[in-house]
Order: sequence, then structure tokens, then C-alpha cells
Amino acid sequence: MVERADAALPPDRGGRPGAPAATPYVRPKATPRRVIWIDRLADWTISLGGLAVIVAVFAIMAFLVQVVVPLFVGASASAPTRYALPPIPAQHGRLLDLATDEYGTLGLEVYASGFVEIFHVPTGQRLSASALDLGAAPATAFSRTLADGHVVFGFPDGSLRFGRITTGIEVLPADAAPAGLARLSDRDATDGSAVYSALTGAQLRRVAPIVELAPPEPAAPGARAIAALDLRVGGSVERPTRAYVTVDEAGAVVLHRSDSRMNLLTRQLTTSVSRVELPAVPGLGQVAGVLLTQLADEVYLAEHDGTLHRYDVRDAAHPALAETTDLLPGGTELTSLGFLIGEQSLVAGASDGSVGVWFRVARADAGTTDGRAMVRAHALEPQGAAVLRIAPSQRSKSFLTGDATGSLWLRHATSEQVLLRLSGGVSGAVAAVSLSPRDDGVLAIDETRRAAHWRVDSPHPETTLGTIFGKVWYEGYPEPTYTWQSSSGTDLFEPKLSLVPLIFGTLKATFYSLLFAIPIALMAAIYTSEFVHPRVRTALKPTMEMMASLPSVVLGFIAALVLAPIVESRIASLLLAFLAVPLALFGSAYLWQLLPQPLALRLEGVPKLAVMFAVVGVGAAFSLAFGPAFERALFGDFRQWLTGSSGSGAPLLFLLLAPLCFLALAVAVGRGFGAVLRDRIRRLERTRAGALDGALWLALLAGALLLSGALASALAALGVDPRGGLVGTYVQRNTLVVGFAMGFAVIPIIYTIAEDAMSAVPNHLRAASLGCGATTWQTAVHVVLPTAMSGVFAAIMIGMGRAVGETMIVVMAAGNTPIMDWNVFNGLRALSANIAVELPEAVKDGSLYRMLFLAALVLFVMTFLVNTLAELVRQRFRKRAAEL
Amino acid sequence: MASVTPLRRERRADLRAYGEPWRFAMGGALAVGVLLIAGFLLLVAWNGVSTFWPGPIAQVTLADGTLLAGEPTRSESYRPSQELLAGTPPEWRERIAAQDGFASRQLYRTGNYDLYNEDFRWVSEYEVGSVSYPAELQFFERVEWGPFVGRILRADLGGGPLEGAALEEGALREAHARARERWREIRRLERGEIGDVNREMEAERLALRRAALRFGPESEEHRALALRVEADLAALQAQYDALAARAAALRAEDQRFRVTLADVNGREKEQLLSDLTRFYPANRLSAWDGLGVYLSRWGEFLTDEPREANTEGGVLPAIFGTAAMTLLMVVAVAPFGVVTALYLREYARQGRLVSIVRISVNNLAGVPSIVYGVFGLGFFAYTVGARIDELFYPERLPSPTFGTGGLLWASLTLALLTVPVVIVATEEALAAVPRSVREGSLACGASKWQTIRRIVLPQALPGIMTGLILAMARGAGEVAPLMLVGVVKLAPELPVDGVFPFLHFERSFMHLGFHIYDVGFQSRNSEAGKPMVYVTTLLLITLIALMNATAIFVRARLKRRFAGSQF
Repeated sequence: MVERADAALPPDRGGRPGAPAATPYVRPKATPRRVIWIDRLADWTISLGGLAVIVAVFAIMAFLVQVVVPLFVGASASAPTRYALPPIPAQHGRLLDLATDEYGTLGLEVYASGFVEIFHVPTGQRLSASALDLGAAPATAFSRTLADGHVVFGFPDGSLRFGRITTGIEVLPADAAPAGLARLSDRDATDGSAVYSALTGAQLRRVAPIVELAPPEPAAPGARAIAALDLRVGGSVERPTRAYVTVDEAGAVVLHRSDSRMNLLTRQLTTSVSRVELPAVPGLGQVAGVLLTQLADEVYLAEHDGTLHRYDVRDAAHPALAETTDLLPGGTELTSLGFLIGEQSLVAGASDGSVGVWFRVARADAGTTDGRAMVRAHALEPQGAAVLRIAPSQRSKSFLTGDATGSLWLRHATSEQVLLRLSGGVSGAVAAVSLSPRDDGVLAIDETRRAAHWRVDSPHPETTLGTIFGKVWYEGYPEPTYTWQSSSGTDLFEPKLSLVPLIFGTLKATFYSLLFAIPIALMAAIYTSEFVHPRVRTALKPTMEMMASLPSVVLGFIAALVLAPIVESRIASLLLAFLAVPLALFGSAYLWQLLPQPLALRLEGVPKLAVMFAVVGVGAAFSLAFGPAFERALFGDFRQWLTGSSGSGAPLLFLLLAPLCFLALAVAVGRGFGAVLRDRIRRLERTRAGALDGALWLALLAGALLLSGALASALAALGVDPRGGLVGTYVQRNTLVVGFAMGFAVIPIIYTIAEDAMSAVPNHLRAASLGCGATTWQTAVHVVLPTAMSGVFAAIMIGMGRAVGETMIVVMAAGNTPIMDWNVFNGLRALSANIAVELPEAVKDGSLYRMLFLAALVLFVMTFLVNTLAELVRQRFRKRAAEL
Repeated sequence: MASVTPLRRERRADLRAYGEPWRFAMGGALAVGVLLIAGFLLLVAWNGVSTFWPGPIAQVTLADGTLLAGEPTRSESYRPSQELLAGTPPEWRERIAAQDGFASRQLYRTGNYDLYNEDFRWVSEYEVGSVSYPAELQFFERVEWGPFVGRILRADLGGGPLEGAALEEGALREAHARARERWREIRRLERGEIGDVNREMEAERLALRRAALRFGPESEEHRALALRVEADLAALQAQYDALAARAAALRAEDQRFRVTLADVNGREKEQLLSDLTRFYPANRLSAWDGLGVYLSRWGEFLTDEPREANTEGGVLPAIFGTAAMTLLMVVAVAPFGVVTALYLREYARQGRLVSIVRISVNNLAGVPSIVYGVFGLGFFAYTVGARIDELFYPERLPSPTFGTGGLLWASLTLALLTVPVVIVATEEALAAVPRSVREGSLACGASKWQTIRRIVLPQALPGIMTGLILAMARGAGEVAPLMLVGVVKLAPELPVDGVFPFLHFERSFMHLGFHIYDVGFQSRNSEAGKPMVYVTTLLLITLIALMNATAIFVRARLKRRFAGSQF
């Protein structure tokens, strides 16, 4: 019960309850409401505030997850708008193509007679029609480019007709609309041909069909009916280029290329046309289609049974049939064929509903004239009925397939996923499909003139769990790979978003930095906690802690601009230092044992520490001075040796094996006649014992060197070579430098926490151990270290968490190359560095943006696991330490 | 009684019991750690302190007869490639071979970027013919193009060209001081006053747009405002014209004072006197004058704005940005951290919940800082900030106000990052308050909150301050999250100025740590930026070390104060 402290007391304070003869004083028992309320409020606020930490951690995680989730949600579609389109008279021939504009306003149907039917996509209302005058005969072949709607018609007499069928879009002020518009929908109104859509901010968008036709191109004498056609238009305004390939009914394949050059003064175009007749294919069956790449260097000719002929036309003077392959298994027919954007990947749809994506890759065993072969990189989920129509996206490797039962699947080639299955819109065999230029609308028409329109949202078609964490076969790559390459100069570039190389980079940097940091930090911590005077400790510890608060940007700067060039020119000295400094320390320890006991005892403490400092300094100076000689003796020129052009792998194997051999020999000798030797040494007087011990060590060392030398040359003779694996070509900003700098950042953290854990071991344990006659060394190793083990483990975990998330050092010193390679002398790109480099440029809510959030989430989860484990272990340790 | 054989202790002990080799290894590890830190700090300190000292200018005659002049900056030994070696004289080839293939070379800061397209040049020892230090060579620091090394040919101090003996150094220095004064006046006019007028004009336009959005473009209010804005704009335009005319007049005056410089090979370069920030005869400089140049360079560094893609000039905006961000962060982090620590120490019962809170605190401490940056960008800037823009700044859309990185979001992000530091320190401080004091207060009838507010918190205050200072040190050194939430390489305006509302939370800002990254890695020539980076590094480390030392000092005093008050 809380009581009011400042209650006025009456003067006769002696009035104890129960005391006789005094009027009992009744203390006011009521605490002012205000105090109670404030106390309660504080209770609530502080408790809530305390729990807010938990909320904060989970809010961060939840927010990251919420941003990331859309990556894995395929695509969504609205309910279809269904309508029946007016019938088209039979004399117009078959439906050749269907196009829509990027706002889903106009639909344009192109018929063989040149008839173009134009309708309003959201409602299906017919707007107008234009009949192109193509002459008497209907077209036998047709092609339309994906962008800009350039078309070409081919005719029975072998002649061609070029034109353009597309939509023109302009934005006008609201008052520019003509009078007397007929309303189509809430948004749209029409004047008969063009559609006007209201926009926000008092503006109008006018979408009008563009239907143009160039004068006929006369047929060459003796030309036959055109069976298939493909057209590519490219170049700049000053130098437009046009390439097209024709296949006539007899199977003759002809490639035409026209280059135009605009005279800058007269604005006149002069056009030169080249005509290349491609070698005939003997026994050519019925042609299903012909395709031409954007640069007009490859021609693909497909037959109905799925046979594909690939022509190599890079050298126009010598066109060659490079390869003939079979797109389909036996017994099925090729029912649709098309390019994806970029004109590299072929999509083949078959009568059994299977869909395959093919492209050519460089193969050593290709057996073709150009050393490349077509491969079916992606076999997509089959559709159940013959795939009749394919519509590629204009912005990604997505495409739409329509089958004989009227169902439409939106797929993505690289990720192999089916984004959407649209059925129930049209019921008959699909006659035409269109995927709108922004991938946000699907329009389909079936054989019975029923049509359906879906609004589609497909923001991240290229990402699935499989593409992010698995191998993906990207267009043009010889095999599936883990690749991170988020941007490039060209529009047609496909982002390659695999987190695996980045996770690998993070783990590689962490591994090498911990390899450097853990031994130094732990050994230094044990020494500080157990072997130095408390006064020295109070000076050393804040110094190390101060190092923990050094900004990592400074470490990164020093590592990249100062350390990296030094390491590059002094790499041999560094390698030597890894050997020389430990050897110098051990050697001086054995020398120290030669000191008479009283002197050794007197020098214990600061003088001994000073000796150690001096030995480290001498070892470093020795390495610096003799590094070049060491390099010449073992490797010749180390960096040349690394490239693998000279020498064998033996020298490095020798260096790597030497410590292992020493360990093995020491254990073997210890197990074998160690007991005898130890007994012998024990019976000697100290100086002589020291001498014998030192001699034994030297003998072991010599033995180990001999053994590892023998082993290394044996292994090298067997063909074992660390080059190409653990080591390889030298890059200036490499993992070694990063490991160094990051180790520098991690050492103080591991050191401080481990030292704290060891200092927290109760002193009575030490006292008991020493009292039993154990030396300080025995106490440290057998009593203190085991007791503090969980704290030491926590220290390593926390250090690892810091290394995993360290950003600036890896940004600056790691070279940022996203490659998967264990080579210590190569660079890396870590998750954290990748985020720091790419997130400022990423478009909000784009795939890259979400991928970088996923990278952050991966980092978060990694460190969350490590830190939670560390904290649980540490809590147990604290409890145990308190119980001791 | 049987005779007792006295126990003879075995005097000799197993050498293994002392573990001498391993103790040496451990001590060696400690030595390596300490030597690394010491070397690192010495490297930064030496480079940082010595950078601004004006060195002499060497005139080097190369073996092939070409002349170059520059300030020697550093030398190193390197390995010339085989192709390079092929062109050297044979005696040098032998000497280099004798030195294990290493040769030494000297880096000269030759300046004159506008003439040479480089401002540093490595000269290998075998290239050197002779080195001299001519007295007439001067070091000119310029507003543009970096330094110039050479001598003064002639000068026009407003009254026609002067040359040779007619050109007195005193007169030149005086004219230079006046020219610099004029230059500052022009900058004040253009940046300050004309900038103010521009800002007012922009504010008027935004007000009009706001009215249009609120009342509609055809409304009465909008039309009335439009008339007023038009009148205001006309008035402001007149002000603008007047100021611009004054600036133009000053500029015209400035054009009259010129100086013609020549490099060591006699190539001439005409320069406005006001474009020289500083010049000194490097080889005739007494130690006293050298100190003057040194101090004036430090002064410029600490109080001026950066120039030449941040590689020259000062870092005042970065110091300012760092300080503003850190202080704002402390304001945000203090209540959160203290409340959590109070909960853990005073309110919570030990149990699973507290253990989860502790795990969360440690996770907050262990989550990589870049993840906070990602969260700050996605949540604070793009989610919260975008909502604020929609509600309060619709007239500025689509260009974001709070919907992008800025001072506020950076501070909040860092506050989240540094909360654990404050929690841990505050907990320590609370634990140091003796139980008896608390019990005494409660026994007197004070409520729990009263006890905490009047008794516990005042006693723990130094400890809490320690935590806040440590948090500031941590926050000031972080760069990675800031790169995502508001730091820029060059901020045109400070986040605090004399324009209402004085504190501009939405502005992006400069930061010392990011300055290091930017100058060291993003500038055209990392060599030219290196001195700047070292000095900035020294400044940042000094700041952080000072904060840490303060914290450690306060903590030590706190311990001493409470050591005696344990009952």
C-alpha cells in the first residue's frame, strides 16, 4: 500500500496505537488520487515501453517480409470482360494478327485481305475499320514487329507490301477534345476512330489507330508464292535498317537486308538492298514458320513436324546451314513458334500442349559449323491442349500461350513459372491473343468471335524461390548458373537476381576474417584475463574497446587505399609473417625456459610482455626484410606463380602442410615415447630441462618441415594443385585484405566479450586450483577456460554476427565482384555491400528493390539466429556463473 | 616414536605445467592486437596532422632533361615491371636486381591540373637527374582546378600590368586580401540574398499551388491569391534584379585584378586574383610562416565549404550535419532506451518475458546496420514519409519532401540502431543505485514512480549520460545506413538555418563518415583526395575518441561515487 509521505503529522507523535492515555492519532490513509494515477500510468507506460523492444525487432522483420512477399506471388488478374465481336465477312480471309495499345484502349485485328477491324478493348464496341488495298489476292504470309508495329504482307505472286499497323498516343489538354464524342465507358469517349481518355490533372489522352501502307514491292521474275515471312526493323532515324526473310512455297529461303542513309541536307533517304539466297534444305517439309534475329545474323526455319533449321548468316557472302535439330518429340506437331523479346529465345508450342524455350549456346561439342548448338533450356509445364498462339511480352521474358480449349497461360521463360492460368474467358480454340505492351492486359479472341479481356498485374514475373536460391539458365549462358547482375546498359537486358553469389561472398568474407580474428582475439583475451597484472589489464582493455568503436568506414578506407597496395607489393612478406611470427614466439618461449627459475620469476609480468612485443616486432621486421628472398626461393615470382603459368603447386602445399605435419608429429611423438621423455625432462634441473625441451622442439620442427616437403612434392606429383581453388589470380582488392580489415573490426568485440566471460569466473575457483598446486597455466586451461566456455562461444557468435553484417569495409576493400570462387586473392561481393551500392538506385517496389529487401531479410535472419543462440548460451552461462 | 622421514618435496616441476610456448603465443596475440591498433592510430594521426604542413617545392630535372616541379608527398618502394626495366640504364638495372627487384619512387604533387591533366606524378629514382629547390617557386591554392605550382610572372592590380621589381609582394598580398574580400561578398550576395529571394518566390508559387489543390483552380480564393502572388512575385523580381546587378558590378570590378602565373617550363596561365585562395613561396618559408599557413589551412578546413568535388576546401557542412543528426538521434533514443532499461531493472519480474526482452535487445544490437538503413528507407521514408507528404505537402508532389531520405529519418534510423547501447548503460547505472536508498524512499511512503523519479533517476543520471554519449559515438561513426536514408555528397543547404522553421528535418545532409567514403572512392583522383580523407578521418576519430573517453571518465567517476554508498 502506498501512503502519502508528506502527510502533516500532529504534534503529539508519541501516539502509538494501543498506547494508553493518548488520543489515538488517525493517520490519513488515503493517498492522493493523483499519485496513484501517475504511478499506475508510469507502470503501464514503462511496461509497454519495455516490451516495445520486442515489438521493434519483430516490426523490422515483419516489414521486411511484407516488402519481400510480392516477389513470390505470381500474378493476378481481374475477372474477364467478355463480349462477342461482330462477325467478319469470309472474303477477308483468316485473322493474321491482334494488337493492343499500352493503355488497353484499342484492339486492332488484321485480316489476310488487308482489312483492319478496330474495336474498344474494355467494352468490345466496334469503332471503325480500314480496309487496306492490297490488290486482288489475299496475303499468304504476314509478319509484324513486336515494337512499333511494322508489318509486311507476302502474296501468292511473290510480291511484298510493307506498312505499319499500330496505335498513336498523345496527351492533350482537356479542352482540346472535339465536340460530339460518344461515350464508351466512364473513362473513354470516341469520335468514331480515336478514343479520348480522361486523365487526372485536366488532361486527355488520345489513342488513335495508325494504319499505313507503302507502295507495293514488285516481285522478282519467276518468284513463287510466299509461304512464311519475318521482318525486323532497326537502326536510327538517320540510318534506318530493315531486314526480312522470305520462304516461298518451294522452300527457297531468301534474306533481304536494306540499309538506308539519310542525306542530312536534303533529308532524302537512299536505300541499298542486299539479297542473300540461303542454301536450300533438301526434302523440306511443310514450313511452319521462319524467324530472323534482330541483327539479321541468324535465320530459323521450322517445319510442321518440329524440325528446325538454323542458318548462320553472320557472313552474308557465305550463308551456311549451321544446324538442324528437332524441337519436338516424335508424333507431335509444331503448332506455334515465336521469339521472346530480344530475338534470342525461341518458344515452340506443340499439339500435345508442351511448351519449350530454346536458344543457342556455345558448346565445344556442338558439332555445328559455328560451334554453337540449340538447346531446350526450359521445358515449361504442358498446357493440356495444343498450343495455338504465342504472344511475347515487350518488357520481360514473359509470354502468353493460348490453346485449343480457350485457356490462356501467362508464363515466364527464365523462371519457368506459370504466372496465371486464365480460363473461362473464351471457350473455343484461340484464334488470336495479345499481351499488352505493359504486361497489364490480356486480350483473346476465339474461332467463334468471342473475346475476353483481363486486366493483369504481373510485377515480378522473373523471381521465384527457385530463381533466387537455385541455378537458373539465362539466355545465352552455356549452362544454368548462380548469377547476380542486376543492371546493364541495354534495354533488352534481363536482370539476373540470384542471391547465392552474394550469400557466398558474405560467408567467404566472414570465414576469412574469423580465421584471422578468432585466434588472435581469444588468445589475447586469455592472456589478458589470466596472466597480466590487473593494472596492465585496466590499461589494455579500454584500448581494445576503443578499437571496437572505430568507424568501419575508416577501416575500409585504410584497407583499400593503404593496405591493399602494400599487401600487393609485399605479399611474400605477409605469407612469411604467418610462419615467422609464430615460430619466433615459440622459439623465444623455449629460450625463455632456459632462464634460471629465479630470474624467470623476477621477469614475469611486464618485462615478459615487453619481450613478447619485441619478438612480434622482430618477427615482422624479419618477414619484411626476407620476404623477397623467401618468394624467390619458393615461388620465383609469386603473382606469376599464382596464375599457374609457372612452377608446380608444391611450394604452397608445403606451407599449408607444415603446421599440420608439425601437429601430427607432435601428437605422434607425445603418444609414442612422450611419457618417457617427459619423465626424463622432469627429473632434470630446470635449465637443462629447458634445453632438452627446446632441442626436442627443434627436432620436431625439422622433422615436420621434411615431412611436409616430402608430402607436398608427392601430392604435387600426383597433380594436386591449390591454384585454381584456394588460391588463384591476384586482384588488388581481395579477400585477404578484407579478412584483415574485417578481422581488425571483429577482434575487439570477441576480445572484450571473451575477456568479460573469463573475468566473470569466480575467483574462489582459481584460488582452489592454485591451492591444489596447479600452476596459473594449468588453472587457466583446465579450470577457467572450461567454465567460461559458453561465454567464449557467445563472443565468437557475436563477432560472427558483426562480420556478417559489416558493410563499409566490404564495400570499399572487396572489389564488389559477385563471383563464387574460394580464391583468397580474388574479390567478392557481400549481401551488405550489395545493398549499400544498389539500393540508392533501385526503383521503389521494383524487382530489384524487393530483392535488396530480401537480401536485408536474409542478413537479418542470419544475424538473428546467431545472436539469439549467443544470447541463450550467455544467459545460461550467467546463471551457471552465479551458481558457482 | 619412530623416526619420521621428512617429506622431500620434488623441487622440479614438469615444464609442461607452465605452458611457456602457449603463453608466449597468447602474449604474442595480444601484442599483435595492440601493435595493430597502435600502428593504425599512428598512421592516421601522422598523416592527418602532417597533411596541412606546407612542404618545400622540389624542381626535378629528369635524366632526359625534362623539368618538373612539385611538392614531394611520399615515397615508396615498388617493383618496376620488366618493360619498365628494359628502358633504364644498365647500372640501375643491376642495382635494382640487387635490391630484390625493388626500386624506390617519389610522388610529387605537381598541381596544374588544367595544364597537365594530372596533378600527381610518380618519379622513379632512376629517372632523376638532379633536384633543386629554387626560391622563386610558389604554391598557389585556387578555387578551381586544384593547386598551381610555379611563379608569378606579372600581375595587374587594377592599374595595368606590373612585372619584376615593380611588383611588390606587400602590394600583391594586400590586393589579394581585398580580392578575397570581394569574392566573399559576391558569394554572400549570390548564395545568401539572391538565394533568399529565390526561396521566397518558390514559397509564393507553392502557396498558390496549395490553394489550387485545396479550393480548386476556378475558386474565388485561388483567384484572389493568384493576384496577390503575382504582385509579390513582381516585387521580388525587382529585388532580384537589383541584387543581381550589384553582384554583376562586383564581378566586373573583380575582373580587373589579375595575375599571370607560369609553371616551371614557362607555360603561362592567367588567373583572377580572387580565384587564388592562398599562395606562399614554399622554399622561402620560415617555420613561423609555415605555421601560419598550417593554421590557416586548418581554419579553412574547419570553417569552410567543400570545393572541387569535396577534395578541397573545408568540411563545415559535414561537421554540422554529423552534429545535427547525432543530437537529434539522442533526443529520440533517450526516452526509449531509458524506459526499456527501467522496465528491465525496476518493473519486470525475472522470467521468460525478460529473457525474451533481453534477446530482443541483443538482436537489436546485433542486426547489421545496413538492415536498419533498408528498414529506414522502406518504412520511414517511403511509407511514413510518403503519407506525410500526401497529408501536408501535396503542393510539392511529385517531388518528395519527407518521402525521401532526410535528417529526421536518418536520426530515427540511427536511434533504433543505438537503443541497445543506451539500454545496457542505463541498466548498469540503475543497478549501481543501492537497494537501500530505494527501500528507504519506499519506506517513507513514496510511490514507486516517485521513488524512481526523485531518487533513482537522479542518481543514475551520470550513467545514463554515459550511455547517451556512447550512443552518440556509435551513431557518429555509422555510415552504411546513412547512405540509404539521407546522406548526400554535397548538400546545398544546411539542415539548420535562419529561414522559418529554422530546423529542416526533411533536408538531406552531409556527414563526416560519408565524406571519407565519397572523397576516397568516388572522386576523380583518389590521390588528390587522400590528404582530405586523412584529415577528415583524424577529425572523426578524434571526435569519437573524445566522446568515448568522456563516457569512460564519467563511468569511472560514477563507480567511485557509489562505491562508498553501499550499505
